[in-house]
Amino acid sequence: MIPVRFIAADLRRLWAGSLVIVLLIGLATALGIAVGIQERALRLGSARAADRFDLVVGAAGAETQLVLSSVFLQAAPLTLLPGSVLKDLAEDPRVDWAAPVGFGDSFNDLPIVGTTGEFLTDKGRRPLAEGEAFQKPTDAVVGALVDLRLGDTVKPVHGLPGEAGHTHDELAYTVTGRLAATGTPWDRAILVPIETVWSIHGLDGHTADAHDHDHDHGHDHAHEDHDHDHDHDGVQDHAAEDHLGPPWAAGIPGVPAVIVKPKSIANAYQLRQQYRTDTTLGVFPAEVLTRLYATLGDARVILTAIAIGTQALVGAAVVLVCVVHLSQRRRQIGALRALGAPRLSIFGVVWVELLLLIGLGVLLGLGLGLLGAKVAASFFTQQSGIALPVSLEWSDVGFAGMLMLVAAVIALVPAWLAYRQPAAAALRG
Amino acid sequence: MAGLSLSGVRVEFPGLAAPVLDIAALAVARGEDVAVTGPSGSGKTTLINVMTGLEKPAAGSVRWDDTDLVRLGESQRDAWRAGHVGLVMQEFHLFPGLSAIENVLLPVRFRLFSVPAATRERALALLKRVGLSRPDQDIATMSRGEMQRVAVARALLGRPAVLIADEPTASLDAASGAVVADLLIELAREENATLIAVTHDPRLSGRLGRRLSLVAGRIAEDVAQGEGAAPSSATPYTPPAASQGQVTP
Repeated sequence: MIPVRFIAADLRRLWAGSLVIVLLIGLATALGIAVGIQERALRLGSARAADRFDLVVGAAGAETQLVLSSVFLQAAPLTLLPGSVLKDLAEDPRVDWAAPVGFGDSFNDLPIVGTTGEFLTDKGRRPLAEGEAFQKPTDAVVGALVDLRLGDTVKPVHGLPGEAGHTHDELAYTVTGRLAATGTPWDRAILVPIETVWSIHGLDGHTADAHDHDHDHGHDHAHEDHDHDHDHDGVQDHAAEDHLGPPWAAGIPGVPAVIVKPKSIANAYQLRQQYRTDTTLGVFPAEVLTRLYATLGDARVILTAIAIGTQALVGAAVVLVCVVHLSQRRRQIGALRALGAPRLSIFGVVWVELLLLIGLGVLLGLGLGLLGAKVAASFFTQQSGIALPVSLEWSDVGFAGMLMLVAAVIALVPAWLAYRQPAAAALRG
Repeated sequence: MAGLSLSGVRVEFPGLAAPVLDIAALAVARGEDVAVTGPSGSGKTTLINVMTGLEKPAAGSVRWDDTDLVRLGESQRDAWRAGHVGLVMQEFHLFPGLSAIENVLLPVRFRLFSVPAATRERALALLKRVGLSRPDQDIATMSRGEMQRVAVARALLGRPAVLIADEPTASLDAASGAVVADLLIELAREENATLIAVTHDPRLSGRLGRRLSLVAGRIAEDVAQGEGAAPSSATPYTPPAASQGQVTP
């Protein structure tokens, strides 16, 4: 028999040491759990964020950069794609819709992205949360998490978020709509008609020749060079008389990337192939993410190895503490034996006590790991806008169970030492 | 009944040239009360360890009635001890965090899934008998004398055939020591248990019927004392007829 009251009294008596052991085990477990949860959340979150983006076409260059900039709105210089590519894609019968994305301005550290109404509503399939899509060149639709209300005014600042730049005093957008939440960086973006972005940067197809732009609006973002002279004296008037979105006229300006919604999977593959040329690059964001995940997987292996190493170290420390503690309890164990306690019961007492501490530690670790992953995810979401679906899965519980199992086996060592102690020798101390 | 019979018992410890215990023969009849005395290191504690099966001698036999403890395995000796021996130790070996009653019941809890009501009743009665009126009192709040009384109650819970005490009064003040000595003698008689007490305390050793003196692991003196026997004069001991044991002085 293993007297429960005795174990409870023992743990109560040694509460400080027990607490330290539980905390040590809890923290070591939390590390492993948090790594697993975080990595999975990152995969899911980024996959969901890329879900709407079947195919992205940009100028030839780095695939990962193209996806990071266009899908995840990570500020980075992208070479411009000729406007004719956008026009061709929009008119391609295999394409449902093709929307440009143009960067260059920001407001309160939120990126202002030029695009089309088709992109906002997935060509009418995805209604806005409130308000309406672009009707005028100065209309803006904000992401779900942008702290602006309908009717608010947005004065764009030249430059990407975090970069210093001058305010485009010549133009103010008015918020006319809000996107439904997507859990993506687009929730923190301000979307405006691409025509206005072209126009404000002097790239308007109709006006480009009339203006003397001495700065590079090629969106390689040489924004340090702000010696340009904007002369958009008629932006609002001029834009108001134009229609927004496709069909595109010949000679439209270039864009950093085009988001393409192919009509079918076969079309998607054909288009991707067709736009993998010397000057253009067609990528499936999912494909790029898969490669990123492989890298992420490698990082996870390393982090998991570190976590396991930490757990092993903590395990060794716990065993050491137990063995030292056991030597201090020799006389108590000897007395129990003298009073007739069976050796197996002594074994059980030591093993169950350790198992309880380990169990509590692992449970604490599960909670702490989940909490840590949630905190880390919220920081990540704050930085990137990508919502990470942090949740405890059966695999995490399985990992904790495996830890328990290993710990239970290791705990046999001190229990066995207690079992083997000769009663008389133990009583002598 | 034969009681205890030791024959040719030798206990050796590694690193020591001479055996710590070397008893050619010793018999203790059932119901006897025996004081074991001797200087430190004379083998007194080793002797009671051998008697209770805590220590297995290198040679010889330790028979309690028909059971030779030397022939039993360690677990069997544990079980035998739990069923036959009540032990009172100098340092009490009570367990902090448990109440007086839980300490008394602890040996039973190691052997039974739940404590029978009768056992619990007996534990309460024993605590009352040793003069403790608060069975739920935490051990940590008790005086040393009270603790030893709890230990006496614990030793007697299983109605042991033999009550063995190792320096039961050594760590107590005079008044508490006297109370514990009285209790041990009275309760052993009430329970009809053999009492073997290792002690330096003349108030305890002088009241027991027989005194064994150990020197360097051997029995140097074995005398009857008590009523009718002058405490100061060593009387050659003749074992009770029932035991038929050979006693080596």
